[in-house]
This record gives sequence, C-alpha cells and structure tokens, in this order.
Amino acid sequence: MQIAEIDLGKYSNRFSSYTELRLHENRSQSIVLLNGDVVSNARDTTGGVSARVFNGGTWGFSSNPDMSNDAIDGTISAATRNADFLARRCGNEDAALPLSNASADSDFSTKKTLKTQEEKIAFLTEIDNYIVSSFPDVVSRQVLLSCLDMEKKLQTSEGSNGHNVTTRSLIAVKLTTENENKEPVELSEAIGARGQYEDVFESMDTIIPALDKLYAQLLDKKEAVQPISGYHDVILASDLAGILAHEAIGHTTEADIVRAGSVAADYLNKKVASDLITLVDFANTYEGETLPVPIYLDDEGVESLDAVIIEDGVLKSYMHNKDSAQHFGMPLTGNARAFSYTDEPLVRMRNTAILSGSSSLDEMIASIDEGYLLMRPTNGQADSTSEFMFGVQMGYEIKNGKLGKAISDTTISGVAFDMLNNVSMVSDEMVWSCAGMCGKKQPMPVGMGGPAVKTKVYIGGQ
Amino acid sequence: MSINNTEKALAEKSLVALEQSGFDRAACRVSADELHELQAENAEINLFRTNFETDISLVGIKDERKASMSINRVDDATVNDAVADLTAMAAGSSPDSAHDIAPQQSHEIFSGGIEEPDYDLMYDRVSEMQTYAAEKYPLLNLRSTGITFYKRRSCYVNTNDVCFQTNRGLYQVSISFSSKDGTDTSSMMYTGYSGYDLDTPIFEATNVDMLLQQSTEQVRTEHIPGKFQGEMIISPDCLTDFLGFLLGRIGDGSIIAGTSVFKDKLNELVANPMLSIESRPVDDALTGGYWVTGDGHQAMNSTIVDKGILKTFLLSQYGANKTGLDRAVNAGGSYCVAGGDTPYEDLVGSVKEGILITRFSGGRPNDRGDFSGIAKNSYYIKDGKLAYPIQETTVSGNMVDLLQNITGISVERLNFGSSILPWVKVSGITAS
Repeated sequence: MQIAEIDLGKYSNRFSSYTELRLHENRSQSIVLLNGDVVSNARDTTGGVSARVFNGGTWGFSSNPDMSNDAIDGTISAATRNADFLARRCGNEDAALPLSNASADSDFSTKKTLKTQEEKIAFLTEIDNYIVSSFPDVVSRQVLLSCLDMEKKLQTSEGSNGHNVTTRSLIAVKLTTENENKEPVELSEAIGARGQYEDVFESMDTIIPALDKLYAQLLDKKEAVQPISGYHDVILASDLAGILAHEAIGHTTEADIVRAGSVAADYLNKKVASDLITLVDFANTYEGETLPVPIYLDDEGVESLDAVIIEDGVLKSYMHNKDSAQHFGMPLTGNARAFSYTDEPLVRMRNTAILSGSSSLDEMIASIDEGYLLMRPTNGQADSTSEFMFGVQMGYEIKNGKLGKAISDTTISGVAFDMLNNVSMVSDEMVWSCAGMCGKKQPMPVGMGGPAVKTKVYIGGQ
Repeated sequence: MSINNTEKALAEKSLVALEQSGFDRAACRVSADELHELQAENAEINLFRTNFETDISLVGIKDERKASMSINRVDDATVNDAVADLTAMAAGSSPDSAHDIAPQQSHEIFSGGIEEPDYDLMYDRVSEMQTYAAEKYPLLNLRSTGITFYKRRSCYVNTNDVCFQTNRGLYQVSISFSSKDGTDTSSMMYTGYSGYDLDTPIFEATNVDMLLQQSTEQVRTEHIPGKFQGEMIISPDCLTDFLGFLLGRIGDGSIIAGTSVFKDKLNELVANPMLSIESRPVDDALTGGYWVTGDGHQAMNSTIVDKGILKTFLLSQYGANKTGLDRAVNAGGSYCVAGGDTPYEDLVGSVKEGILITRFSGGRPNDRGDFSGIAKNSYYIKDGKLAYPIQETTVSGNMVDLLQNITGISVERLNFGSSILPWVKVSGITAS
C-alpha cells in the first residue's frame, strides 16, 4: 500500500501519551559517468513507519519497514514500551512539551511524464560529450546525477497531521586538468534545484553556461598561486554566503547546540554582528518564491515558521524543536526534521540565509587594496565555540581594487561572531543553493542563500 | 551466533526472479538489521529506540549493461516491481565489458558477536558514565552518550553459485562532549568504539578519560606564539583524516580516472619505512570488520603499506577489470597501523616545537594532497612538553609529503573496533 492511501488518523486511539506517528519513504537515484563510462546506475527506495512517544521527560522510538496495519500497531506499541521503560528508570512526572496543532500538505512531485533511465543517461552523456568536444584541456571528467524525493505523512496525538513530498535533483560535474608540473587540478560544480528531474533538467540550455564558467575558472586555476596564510580582507562570493550562514552561524544557534554549551547561549539579545547583518532560517518562502527546501510542517507536527536569528546585528532567537522550546521557554519554530523513517527528529536548518544589502560586487572588489575573492565552497564544519572552517576550491587575488591571479584550494576559518562584526559591505544580490547536505548526526538536505559579503577571515596556506 | 535461513530463502527467490527476467548475470544481498539504542543528552537519559530494517540489494547485468537497486520491503509484489524496474534501468544504460559478478566460491557461513542486547547493562553503563563525568569533571557537559546494540543477518547470492551467509551482533558506543566555565567554552569533541561486550565502563575504554580531562583543560585556550614550521603528533582520534588521502586515492575512482598521485607508485616507497598499514576486515580483534565484500568476494586481510612501500591498490572487481590491475582481496577499512618503538610520552618529549592534534577540522585536500585546516582540541608543544591548549590554529601541508615525513610512531595503540591506531609524529607542518 502506498503512503498516500494509508489513513493515520485511525491510529489516534492507540496513543497513550504524546505520540508522533510517521510514514516516511526516501526515493533516491544515482547515475555516475566517469570519463564517459556508466560506473553507477542505481536506485534506492527506503521507507517505513516510525512512532515516537513522550513519557515522563523521556522518549521511546521504534520503526519498522512494514507499513501494514499490524506493523503500524506494533510500532506504536514498541515505542510506547520503550518510553515506559525509560520513564520507570529515570522519568520525571512533571515533564511537559509545548502543544502544537497544525496541518499542512505539499507535493513537489512533477506533473510531467517521467523520463526513462535511457533518457536520463542520454542527457548525462550529452553533457559528457559537450565537455569532451568543448574543453580540450580536461584530462578527466565525472558527471553525476543525484535525485532525492522524501515523502512523509504525520499524525500526532495533539491532532497535527500532514502529507508532504519534497524533491530535489542535482547534476554534479567534476573536471580535472593538469598544471605545468603534470599535477592534477580539479574543480567541481553542482547544478540543480528543488523538483524532480523532469522539472529541473529540461534542456542543455541551463547546463552549458554553468559548464563554460566552470571550465574558464579551471583554466585560471591551472595557473593558480598559493594564497598567503593569515587574516585578510576578503569578499565571500554569494555562492559562499550560504555555507557561511549555515556553518558559521546556523549551527551555533540551533537550540540543542546552545543547550549543550554553545557560546550563543551568552549572546541572546546582544550585538553579535555588524548592523548590515540580518540572518534568517526561512521555513519555505522568501519574497513570494518557494525556497530550495520548503518545509510547512515539521516532524513534530509544528507549523514551520521563519526563525529570525540575527536582526540588524542583534542575536534575536534560536531554532527549536519541542524539547528545546520547552527548555528555553521560547516559541516553537518548526525546525524538527528526521532524515529517514528510522530517525528521530532533530533541530535542523531549512533555508538559512544572510539577507542582501546595497553594494554592488564591483564596488566591493574596488574597495580592497590587497585581499581575496573567495568562491565555490567544498565542505565545512562549525563548533560550539563559534569557530568555523570551510574549504574553498576557487578564488582570486584582489590587488588595488582589481582581480588578480587565481588561488589554489584553501581552507578559511574564523570565529563566527568576530567575522560578522567585521562585515563592512553586503552585496545587493541574493543567490540560493539547493545542493547542501548537512551532516549533524543524520544527513539532511538544506537550502542556503545570501549575497556577497566583505569581511576578514583567516586563510590557510603555506 | 545462530544463522537464520530466512534471508537466504529470500535472496535465492529474488535471484531466480532476476534470472527469469533475462539478466545474464545477477546478484542479490538480503539483510535484516536490528538496532536497539539508548541515548542520553545533556547528562539525561532521554531516548530508547528499537528499529527493525530489511534491505534487498539487486544487481543485474545484461549485454554488459548493469543496474543496481535497493528496496526495503520484502513482499512479492514489491520485489517483482523492483526486478522489472531494474531490467528497464539496465536496458537504458551503456555497455561496459568491465561489469561482472564474483566468480564461484565455496558456500560459507560466518558469524560473530552476540545475539541479544542487555538493556539493563546498557542503561547502567550510560548512567555510570553520567555519574563519573559529573563527579570527576564538573565543567564537562556530556552532550550525548549513546550505546547501540546492532545486529545484522545477511545473505549474498549470485548466479555464479556464490552463497555467503553472515551474522554479527555488537555494541557501538559513542560520546560527544564539551566543557564550559562561565563564558569560556571548549571545542566539541567526540569519540566512539565498538565491541562484543560492555564489560568495561565507557570512561575506561580507549582514551576516553584522557579526552574528557583534556576537554576541561580546553575551556581556556591560547594562540600559538606565531607562525612556525615544526612537528605534529597526530592522535589516533584523527589519524584516519591524514591517512585517508592515501587510502582514498588508491581506490576505484581515482585509479580509473587516472587522477591519483599514487597511480604509478605500486611497490614503491610512498611513506617513511616506519609506516605499515594493514586492512584486516577478518580479525577477531576488530568487531567492525566484514567477511564478504560488496561485490561478493570472500574478504581476506591484506597489507596495504609495508615499511613505507605501497603493496596494493584497493580496486574492486570492476576497477580491476577496468584498469587491468589486480583486484584487492578486500574492500579496505578495518585499518591497523603498526605500532612503533617510542612510548607516547617520549614522542611528546622529543618535540622541540609542534602541535598535538586530536581533532582536525579541515577542507578536503585537493588531488595533489595540499591541505589546511584547524587543529581542534589540540595542544602547543614546546621543548617536549604540552604547553597549553590552542585556539584558532591552522595547520597546513601536503598529504603526500606528510607520509614521507613521519618521524616517530608510538608503541601504544587504540582499538576502536573499526581500526587499531597509534600516535604518529610528522615533521614539516606549518602552524599559524
């Protein structure tokens, strides 16, 4: 039986205390072309039922891949037993959670006829052929299609319910060339958006400009110089601002991290950033546009609301699940999400962004005598101290207000709140990325966005 | 450990369906997993979880066109739909003569570990850890403590008459923590290990107590005096971050693409002769091992680096067919780095100026091996002594050079269940 056909409301009489009952299926697809060969042609469908029960301040959880009536009944019973076990050992009768009662349905599946595997592989091959015919200096190339659909149906004992399908499709391209020492030099790009393959990849028209830009930068990178390590004036390009918002600030202000000792616990309602900085974790919509990871109802049955983290430089709030909202006595934000049916919901970001300012990128470059323009992030990490780092695979020197030579791969770091206080210009553009996959205990698709930002960071290097 | 034939029957039934749908060669792996987890957050035991999971992985090759699919429902209709989808996926792919399945091998049954979790013991170990930390390290915040009992029964079959049944149950322990004193906060740290029993209190396992103590010291950190080139002692906690460049660049992706800096280095010196690395998936001392590779070969232990010389690539059957090189006898992992002849204390004592690094927060190295990243939960070493915990310190270098620049390996090693690793000292690191 499909998730859409199962009525979860009929299990409500099986709930003996606060309970979340969730049907959840992830459908993913991966096709990899390595130098033209199809080295992976795979699909994965993983789903089932989970129940989470709150009793005396503790949680019981259970899951089962079988979504039959008996299995759903059994899963509720198992989760209830688990909660009872803990409540007997260490429960607190006075423990409570904030109430919520919300409903939301959404479906970002395509309405078009689904493409066949042959058509998708043919499209990836067309991309591969374009690389071969147009980019003579490329010695190795990889083209990867990655699609993920997440379908969730929820019923809580407080009456919240919803059926939501989120989708995203990405094509990641990695190009490798060789420098004059015959050493490999690589650069990669993820192209894609919210939506299923059929809605995202309609023609080569949207792919070719991105590939041409990637190759031009790869050629620049062949001649790259090492960045000079140390603190520098930098412009973090708009494609870096999202990971900046996510890694540098976002994680530090997730309420479970705050509760565990993050420095943000000491900064609420204090000035933590330049007046130019406003940072928001958007639930689903920005200026009328649906965002990369639109969440309307979280996995605790809470309506997803925008969480304003920093407003005009002042730390205003955190992102919450029910546990943390209860602990801090703050309003719910609807940030609780689980990646798989076997997972419990955690505080997770949705679409985290620094809001745009009024400067142009050209003005910002012109304002720096000696520094760097940094673009194209790789991985990143945050810390409870608000110290952050992320990898940068492309960048340019700035000398006397003009772009200079490309720089080789580096890592940038800093203390987030120091870095935010040093922001002196914010660009007037707003770029959203759909390619983020956060790794806090469970993987989770996230959206990220922002403008270019001028600040100071530490650049690693020799 | 007993073997249940339910997975075997389902695997064989699915294999028949694959053959009947017209695949030349096919394979199927059926796994049944149980997970029982007890978790504490912020020193409060707050989650008890029991998960049951099944997985059917199907692989089909027809006319040299390959597809694979994974599902987690076992009813006939779902399996038959998956086989039909797989047939269409393979038909739509491109032919590649390197695709194959494992050749005939004798049928084997492997088992290890324990059958059932002991809930009370799990609870008592977590609870005992909370009490120990609260009493001995009042500044410490145990952000999470988790004990998971994980059991997997699995059966792999293919159309070359391969049948491997496996069954393993083990405990996995993980903790993450930081410390706070007033407004001073330490970096977050985490560690974990696996084992077949819970006989040892968590705080007595591996180097857990050392890390807890260090965390409380790290609430107050200092900058290093200035940029310097010196030595770095890499803790077992983050050694794989530094060996990972070599181990990742000798696998299918980099060797097939031809982008690995080690592609022409087989049987050549790639590291200081002090370094020997084995992959030991079939070793009773390593509870995180495996008996069968993902592509259906019985796994064996292997030497990857012997006294600095690269002895094997980590190529799968596909990678071997594609490159004409030898297939590795395992799929990597379960790494054991040979211990050296210097006690840890003497290793520290031998450093004039350097860093003891316990956690590396770094960007991915590029294909040349250049790296830089932050030394977290780490110490400045001066004249043979741990001088103070450090903040905002970047270490950089090159992973290829780092292997050649090993200047010492500790006698002591830590067994995490997934690996056995020593402390390793290297020179030529830039700290700033």
